[in-house]
Amino acid sequence: MSLRVFPVVLACALLILPPEGGSHKFPESNPWLPPSGGRSAASPLFVESAAATGLDFTHVNGATGQYYMAEQMGAGVALFDYDNDGDLDVFLVQGGPFDAGARRTTGPTCKLFRNDLTDGPNGKRTLHFTDVTERAGLALRTYGMGAAVGDYNNDGYLDLLVTSFGAITLYRNNGNGTFTDVTSAAGLSDPLWSTSAAFVDYDRDGHLDLFVANYLDFSPASNKVCHDAVGARDYCSPRAYRPVPARLFHNDGNGRFTDVTEPSGIARAFGAGLGVATGDYDGDGWPDVYVANDATPNQLWINHHDGTFVDEGLLSGAAVNAAGNPEGSMGIASGDFNRDGSEDLFVTNIIGETFALYVNDGHGNFEDARTKAGLAAPTAAFTGFGTDWFDFDNDGWLDLFVANGAVNIIDAQRGQPAPFRMKNLLFRNVGGRFQDASAEGGPAFARAEIGRGAAFGDIDNDGDVDVVVTNNGGPVRLLLNQAPRSNHWLALKLEQPEKNRFASGAWVGVERTGEPTLWRRVRTDGSYLSASDVRLHFGLGDSPTVTAVVVQWPDGTRERWTSIKSDTVVTLKRGTGNAGAGG
Amino acid sequence: MALALVGTPARAQDGVPPLPRVALDTFPPAARDAIAVAQRDATAKSTDAGAVGAFARVLQAWEQWDAAHEAYARAQALAPRAFEWRYLDAVVLQRLARPADAAAQLSQALAISPDYLPARVKLAEAWLDAGEAERSAGSFAAVSDPAAQPAAAFGLGRIAAAGGRHEEAVKQFERAVELFPEFGAAYYGLAQSYRALGRRDDARRALEQHARYGARWPAVEDPVLASVTTLRDDAGAILQRGIKLAESGDVEGAITAHETALVRDPSLAQAHANLISLYGRARNWPKADEHYRAAVAAGVDVASAQYDYGVVLGLQERWSEAAEAYRKALAVNPLHAGAHNNLGQTLERARDFTAAAAEYRRAVESEPTLRIARFNLGRMLIALGRNEDAIVELRKLIEPRDAEAPRYLFALSTAHLRAGHRDEAVKWATDAKDLALQFGQAELAAAIERDLASIR
Repeated sequence: MSLRVFPVVLACALLILPPEGGSHKFPESNPWLPPSGGRSAASPLFVESAAATGLDFTHVNGATGQYYMAEQMGAGVALFDYDNDGDLDVFLVQGGPFDAGARRTTGPTCKLFRNDLTDGPNGKRTLHFTDVTERAGLALRTYGMGAAVGDYNNDGYLDLLVTSFGAITLYRNNGNGTFTDVTSAAGLSDPLWSTSAAFVDYDRDGHLDLFVANYLDFSPASNKVCHDAVGARDYCSPRAYRPVPARLFHNDGNGRFTDVTEPSGIARAFGAGLGVATGDYDGDGWPDVYVANDATPNQLWINHHDGTFVDEGLLSGAAVNAAGNPEGSMGIASGDFNRDGSEDLFVTNIIGETFALYVNDGHGNFEDARTKAGLAAPTAAFTGFGTDWFDFDNDGWLDLFVANGAVNIIDAQRGQPAPFRMKNLLFRNVGGRFQDASAEGGPAFARAEIGRGAAFGDIDNDGDVDVVVTNNGGPVRLLLNQAPRSNHWLALKLEQPEKNRFASGAWVGVERTGEPTLWRRVRTDGSYLSASDVRLHFGLGDSPTVTAVVVQWPDGTRERWTSIKSDTVVTLKRGTGNAGAGG
Repeated sequence: MALALVGTPARAQDGVPPLPRVALDTFPPAARDAIAVAQRDATAKSTDAGAVGAFARVLQAWEQWDAAHEAYARAQALAPRAFEWRYLDAVVLQRLARPADAAAQLSQALAISPDYLPARVKLAEAWLDAGEAERSAGSFAAVSDPAAQPAAAFGLGRIAAAGGRHEEAVKQFERAVELFPEFGAAYYGLAQSYRALGRRDDARRALEQHARYGARWPAVEDPVLASVTTLRDDAGAILQRGIKLAESGDVEGAITAHETALVRDPSLAQAHANLISLYGRARNWPKADEHYRAAVAAGVDVASAQYDYGVVLGLQERWSEAAEAYRKALAVNPLHAGAHNNLGQTLERARDFTAAAAEYRRAVESEPTLRIARFNLGRMLIALGRNEDAIVELRKLIEPRDAEAPRYLFALSTAHLRAGHRDEAVKWATDAKDLALQFGQAELAAAIERDLASIR
């Protein structure tokens, strides 16, 4: 495929360029920031701002005292710019009364909050969210679990998939602020307990396919009575039920999907699926899929380029712990934390197991490095869910956030309402080893809640990555990043002209003199039940200089741009760089 | 019995940690009563290391890890030269995933009793988990008792693998599985090192063994820890022992344990549910029936109860009643692959092949890895003359090539033969026969040979 070469196109689509068109300056003040607009040595890295910004949502788990498994698992969140106005909107998945069945006509709904970020005089901006659920047609009433985001119909607007107990729902973004439920018209159906999902163009035909993880064969009628160690009624282990297989749907390119679970080989192995991440783990240029399973071995579905996958999880070393035992895996962070150019996997597990760090050698062979990297001991006392790599301090090293919350009664909280509360974790990546930075995170990290979903993106467009965290049976939290602003950054939005418009799956490197190339993949999946910003964010450290940006597009072709300015959002349109460039 | 809302802790004195606070009023009666007795004794004799340590052991038995650790800390402070409390505290710390702290405790415990083998093994393992490879290797190498050799070889293999010395790791892992052939973890380690050396076929074979043996681990006799694990005699603990006995094949022992648990707690519905299949395995039909009725009346885990009862009825060749039980199981859990498969078998016996094939297909849809259901589906499709469809299904059973595979390959051969693909039929029948011989299935091999002779 020959590509025309155009000049570099810089950040024209997003509304964050300062009036003079140069490097973006941080705002002088923000309503949720200290008056100085900066951060003193003692001020927290993150400030919880959900209520202050109008993000008013409380998850309803519908707990009845019957200890139904599904009550404790939800729900997720999606961060995506549904109206293409340059800022991230928030979609929150709702549970509801569990006994009500797959579809309800009354009760709480999922919610879409439009980001009405405004720029005022002198760069002053205000972050405010408006509930546009009804207008958008997203008042879904299922027992919701998670959300996935992708432009499945290549119209340039991000669409939305909602997973639920007993159903999946595909919403087509109409491009006018509204969505249409096209599940049936698209030929999609999954009556199982679906959890995380991912849009991934596994056959590289330019149409985003859909992978849906399913969990257990639990149903209210088959509910089992389980007890904790002291004999008190408690939620069952996933081992009390049978895992059910994931599903893979091929996008036929005409608005319809075909269930290819069986012919693709995806049905040949399965566990109790909770987390899904995509990446090119064996470095062959084709997207693979990693699935975090609860109490069953995780799967690494290696793409064989012919529409089939083979699970190489156990052989790869990324399926179980060093003793060969499966762990209670929930969330996934997929990314190049050690800056060696390959995607590594961080997997959150249940309390007592420690969270796993599988380091990739670039060929899909993984080493369990949780102890070596300093992540074993600090995670032992936590049950982790939503997570991702993100460079919160823009120093060029991917850090970690983990939303935590127990699934079984915590002894110290026995007798209290919802005795499953845990604090969230923040880890700073220091040269490939991790330091617990939770104490610096501020009050938001001192509060114990039942954390589940987490989505990542620069919500206030101020040059650093923020986090939205969902809590089971509790309020959503918006953690606005207030880390010191001494470091530089670069955000990239990729565009392809016709197919796979957001370039999902592209592999992007930022080259800097004397420093290793920083690699990130365009994706919205990972974490737990959640979808994060499709834009890429690179922390650059103390030097603003970017030598070049290299994009390996999803079809394998490469393009290179030079003269990229930092501290701004840059849109890279396919065909505007130097085609075929290495890097 | 009057219980305080929170157990009153003994005061810290002269650096001696206080007794833990335990919110006993939030515990169910069995746990509350058992812990309260030990707590009262420890509170009354708060400077008696034996009483405090006994309290800690009870807390450990009830998996109150943090409280147990606190109580052990006090017992150790009161009796610094006692091995038992340090060792058990280390076990608790390992359970709390604090391997560095556990290693420190084990080092001190071994300074008191250097020859206690489980402590020496645990110390080496704790160092390894704490990332102290050199110390761990030294500890493993110093373990000479034959009972601990498999664990030592496994540990040394892990250390070598972590250091990138995979040739050495392979030697250690191979030694571990030679000493303890059911060592699932060692097979996993072996597979990883084979892979690192580019021996992927060997790695896959090792992973098959890992899948076969799972978490089986070479046990080292540990009387000190056994003093904790045998403390509990409540219904829940007895039920768990019964489940383990059932898993080990001791049906009579499992039945006794389950019945004892029910005597302790007649409301223990799970015991009724488990006893359906246990009495079925013992061919005691009236008792299986009795517990089936009790489980259904309790309304707990009804799908499993109905399924197990269906199996019991099938064992008695009461096929129509078995079918009814499977249908009841499926009414509760439509995804129950086993119930679909077994219902298919009852329909097949009634020669309703179309309905049987439909049930087998539902079983496969629910659980695509349930090979027996796919095999049954393939057979039914052959019986219905849908040979090409049968080939599609049976081809999915070509891998893995284990002891089950010969009959699957034979069925595939049959489907090809019926579809008129003589060469394919010969190929798969030959393959099936060779594999059958490889797994010592002489009778099946002879049957395949007879078919082959007629085809040729």
